[in-house]
Amino acid sequence: MAIEYQPRIIGFLCSWCSYAGADMAGTARIAYPPNVRIIRVPCSGRVDPLFVVKCFQQGADGVLVAGCHPGDCHYVEGNYHTRRRFALLRPFLDFLGIERERFRVEWVSASEGRRFSQVVSSFTQELLSLGPREGPAER
Amino acid sequence: MEAIERIRDKARELLESQAVECVIGYERATDNVGARPLFAYEPGEVARFIFDQTCHHNLTRYLRDKKDRTVAVVAKPCDSRAINMLINEKQLERERVFIIGVVCPGMVEVGWSRPSQELQPLCRYCRQHTPVVYDFLAGEPPAEEPEPSPPYPDVAEMEGKSVAERRAFWSQHFERCIRCYACRQACPGCYCTECFVDRLDPLWVGIRIAPGENEMWNTIRAYHLAGRCIDCGACQQVCPVNIPLMLLNRKLGKEVEELFDFQAGLDAETPPPLVTFKKEEKLEADL
Repeated sequence: MAIEYQPRIIGFLCSWCSYAGADMAGTARIAYPPNVRIIRVPCSGRVDPLFVVKCFQQGADGVLVAGCHPGDCHYVEGNYHTRRRFALLRPFLDFLGIERERFRVEWVSASEGRRFSQVVSSFTQELLSLGPREGPAER
Repeated sequence: MEAIERIRDKARELLESQAVECVIGYERATDNVGARPLFAYEPGEVARFIFDQTCHHNLTRYLRDKKDRTVAVVAKPCDSRAINMLINEKQLERERVFIIGVVCPGMVEVGWSRPSQELQPLCRYCRQHTPVVYDFLAGEPPAEEPEPSPPYPDVAEMEGKSVAERRAFWSQHFERCIRCYACRQACPGCYCTECFVDRLDPLWVGIRIAPGENEMWNTIRAYHLAGRCIDCGACQQVCPVNIPLMLLNRKLGKEVEELFDFQAGLDAETPPPLVTFKKEEKLEADL
């Protein structure tokens, strides 16, 4: 029996907003696909583009970076840097042959449990329709 | 007076007056075809200086090694941008560098027996033929700087391909990479005391020379130059397996220009785009 393809998503969630948002989704019993593996980071500005590239190199199908909405950063300006960094990385990954749909940056606040669930669901759906990622021959 | 005579005269004057300790320029290499760097410490050495279309090296790479001394350097337009970039990043002091700017006719590929007649691809897209910063200019600037249109034809061509084609293109190139890090050594912008690739804990890039690890290195090397690459092509020039590294750098250069209206090294004051931000900017479309 063939095993059904399930995308693997690595989610970097900022500890102050998005991680709390995911927590909110849990406490409010809002279901979201189990495809996301969450890594808690102090701020979305902590996410070095290196982490994202490494995830893809290690076989992730998608990478999600989620942080506070611009203007709401606990460290005042962390997510403004996140925004610039990944606005550059995304087209660059696409240029290298990693579809831009595979990498997402989303703003999810601590109260947006439902939004977190929607983000993960739509991301999973999109990755399912893209299918498995073609990586280098040998990882 | 020929540009080279002016470079030699200036170098002699600087060394004789002891205004600088050393003049970094080009001399003819032992193969009698190409050029190689010359560090002149004595006025008697200046006759060995040359400048022609084989002098492709970016000599600003050596400036940081001598940043506590006062030196003069022969700088082409792209090299002059590297100086601005380094000053901007507090790696150099403007007062300690005397820039002998040269008007650049574009560099040619250097073959085994003679230089080719063709300009290097990168030089065909060049938008600066006069250095952006200099203390002394050898040669006459052209009446007007030609603007190739569009400025990134190589990147645009690649963008026109499908994702799968691009994937195949880069896999085939990265597979050949032997991770000698010559690209890093030649780059004026790669000056970290500990490169991420040399770290053992965390081990960002495995020691194996494998496609995945090579891809990791090449991706991050280029990304670390986003908004900092000054388009000199030194990395690509030294690559022993001919990976089109500048295509990666120029893709990021194009994005930076479109998103942030910035080109690295045009001046020494504007902060590079990734160390600053604007609160009101709208980048969500790209995320």
